[in-house]
Amino acid sequence: MRTVELIDDLSAVLREQMARARAVKALPSEALLHRPAPEQWNALEILEHLNLSSGIYVRGLEKVFAERAAALPFNPAFRPGVLGGLFTRSMAPRPDGSIPNRMRTFRRMDPPKVGGASLESIDRFIDHCTRMLALLERARSTDLDRMKVASSLGPVIRFKAGDAFRFPVGHQQRHFLQLERVLAAAADQRTTTSRWAPCAVRTV
Amino acid sequence: MDLVRRTIERYVRLTENDWARIAPCWREYAFTRGAHIVRAGGVEDRFYIVKSGVQRMSFPHDGEDICVGFSYDGSWSGGYDSFVTRRPGRFDVRAVTDSVLLGIGHDDLQRLYAEVPVMERFGRLILEELLVGRAAREIELLSLDAEERYDRLFKRSPHLLQLVPQKDIASYLRMKPETFSRLRGRRS
Repeated sequence: MRTVELIDDLSAVLREQMARARAVKALPSEALLHRPAPEQWNALEILEHLNLSSGIYVRGLEKVFAERAAALPFNPAFRPGVLGGLFTRSMAPRPDGSIPNRMRTFRRMDPPKVGGASLESIDRFIDHCTRMLALLERARSTDLDRMKVASSLGPVIRFKAGDAFRFPVGHQQRHFLQLERVLAAAADQRTTTSRWAPCAVRTV
Repeated sequence: MDLVRRTIERYVRLTENDWARIAPCWREYAFTRGAHIVRAGGVEDRFYIVKSGVQRMSFPHDGEDICVGFSYDGSWSGGYDSFVTRRPGRFDVRAVTDSVLLGIGHDDLQRLYAEVPVMERFGRLILEELLVGRAAREIELLSLDAEERYDRLFKRSPHLLQLVPQKDIASYLRMKPETFSRLRGRRS
């Protein structure tokens, strides 16, 4: 794939996700905390999960960029690695918006088990996106094929830098579908409540 | 925001003019279960009124986490020691269930104390209340045995057992989880 197109596509998705996260931050707390089922994540936990996972790539990329990016000449083509390509394909939603396969979450990335989530989770998510966008700009003059980064699947599995962008962005896309579902369910519940019990709704 | 006004008016009467200055200082904060609301070692900048959920205050000691209290709907929450002293606090506050808190920043509260006379009175009254509560708890811990502490708590807050893990209540009552479940078995 062409490096420039890859960078442009990923940047566009990240900007959209950031804008959405900013809008979500303004929603009422009840919507942010709404769980479709008692054991399912709410919106804040979804975003915190993305922080726990994407943070590994952001920090890894920042480190390898600081050490090596300046010395490598621009490479106009990026070829996904075997594992990086495989995992990215199984992670990102298909063009029609469906999810390739369900996955189990690692315990260390399951917010209810590792310290919860709050409004600050949204700020951290926006910060991660900002840093990834800055790295993508620097990627316009280096070689994403020749730098490697430890993946979120464990330090043994390392992704090429290009895949270390593609995987978390695809993972975020997948969870943004879930985020919209959860928020739609929260909105549904609010309108039902207001239709049947108008006095129970309090505007803050 | 109704809740903030109702809570303050438990202590003092507010004019519309007072309220117009107080209301913009409060903001809503959402925390999911398990989230840190206050971290030991950090300087706490906010003081909270609980809108929903249960929170647990504790401090780390000897590798253990000692529970010193709970907060729920309508009560205060936060790391009050650090909020007042502006120094690193010793307490953790964590959400036991998903929680919505209404918070005010330290600077805003100080400004309200200076500009809205009735707020300073409010500040004194809640401090008095907190102080009386601490004294009662100290006496409870020093003079009552485990069984009496257990009975006293469930007379005061019978709903707590449904809301909070047993090990946290046991820690709050300064007893081993085994003692707690033995007492509980005997009572039911």
